[in-house]
Amino acid sequence: MSGPDAMRNLTCDEVRELAGAYVLGALDPSEAAAVRLHLTGHPDGHPEIAEVGAVIPALAELAPVVEPPDGLKVRILAAAAADLAARGGAAETPAAAEAPVAPVAFPAPAEREARRARTTAATWVLRIAAVLAIALLGGWNLLLQNDLGAARQYEQNVTAVLDAASRPGSLTAVLAADGGTGSGLAAVDAEGDVALAMRDLAPTSGTAVYEAWVIAGDGVPVPLGSFSVGADGTAFFEASGLPSAEGIVLALTLEPGPGATTPTMPIISAGVAAAPG
Amino acid sequence: MTSADQPLPLRAPSPVDEADRAALARISGGELAALEELYDRYKTMAYSIAYRITNDATLAEDVVQDAFLGAWRNAARYLEGRGSVKTWLLSIVHHRAIDAIRRRRPTSELPDIDAGLPAALTLPDIWGEVSANLDAASVRQALVALSDVQREAIELAYFGGLTQQEIADRTGTPLGTVKSRMRLGLLAMRRSLEVGST
Repeated sequence: MSGPDAMRNLTCDEVRELAGAYVLGALDPSEAAAVRLHLTGHPDGHPEIAEVGAVIPALAELAPVVEPPDGLKVRILAAAAADLAARGGAAETPAAAEAPVAPVAFPAPAEREARRARTTAATWVLRIAAVLAIALLGGWNLLLQNDLGAARQYEQNVTAVLDAASRPGSLTAVLAADGGTGSGLAAVDAEGDVALAMRDLAPTSGTAVYEAWVIAGDGVPVPLGSFSVGADGTAFFEASGLPSAEGIVLALTLEPGPGATTPTMPIISAGVAAAPG
Repeated sequence: MTSADQPLPLRAPSPVDEADRAALARISGGELAALEELYDRYKTMAYSIAYRITNDATLAEDVVQDAFLGAWRNAARYLEGRGSVKTWLLSIVHHRAIDAIRRRRPTSELPDIDAGLPAALTLPDIWGEVSANLDAASVRQALVALSDVQREAIELAYFGGLTQQEIADRTGTPLGTVKSRMRLGLLAMRRSLEVGST
């Protein structure tokens, strides 16, 4: 069976004949769909398919062992952190999980394109509202902690970021913490200059510094520079030379000293840069 | 009654299986440390499969990243009892790697990713205790025990990403024969692995 006739209803004998190719992924899409369609009418899933399919995981053992590069872990965790930040820090709900969304590489070009498409004028308004809400909430939290100095400092820092965000062609990113604390806002203007305001960061001590990273389409973290944080937990950071492109990831790590060339896990906070449509 | 008619025992979850499932539950709650744990456990196997299929370090990295991000985003879709987390994860890696190399072949018809999970994901985990002690040497031995043409068909499909029709074209073999070689080869491997594990 192959070609245009593939979607016709298959007989049980035909499905048995295709069992090996099916579990090996060697059917073309229409053939595989025809098998799946047939299997929907077989609650037992055709024992023959299960029997040959059980060998498939073992085939993975045949691949010669090759260690992945060290940077891959950082890329994956940074992308996951950015994904989490893009979701507003909320975990995927079961309802959302059931939606027919295929996993997509991030920051792959297709994903960046999709994000661009999703960012409409309406969502831009929402983003600004979210930025302001976060800014106000951050300041309010600091006030609740009777840290008036920190609240004022954070307000000034956010104002500077919003200034940068208001320039034509600017991108913004909301950085969210993974589990711990440390959130903030960033703006990347058309020239590739970034301004970043953070709050609730753990104070640094000794030679330890926070290092800012940008991860662009190639997925390689590039260091932007480092800064230390005082007792108020706020920070303002500026750097130049970023790719001004939607979908880039901004991330923070805590490093033992300045000059890190590879991020030290875990990622403290991360966010994805996005622009109005 | 053939062996295919016999109900096969469900595999008892190992401590690693339990840890994997716990990690996946934490991942579905958005915990990055759980993703890191799963990555550390399966990074070598995932990258090895991706590299073996793509033969391209950069593409293999993209495939592995894509697969782990897929697991991160779709952890809640994993159904307990439908295969171990390891099988699920490595099936995603395999599926993505095959997809990647097929995209490089302009004549290939691409699989519809949204149409369904990789084949192995749709199967219950019936490998039983046999799979618990599998290692590369025993699997390689089982593969070597096949006829050359059976081994060729399985390797071209699993590691080469060729469809049965492409294998038939490449080897100059009738399509029906290719189907039989794959099915009978896998059955022979299974029998060999079952015998080897007892």
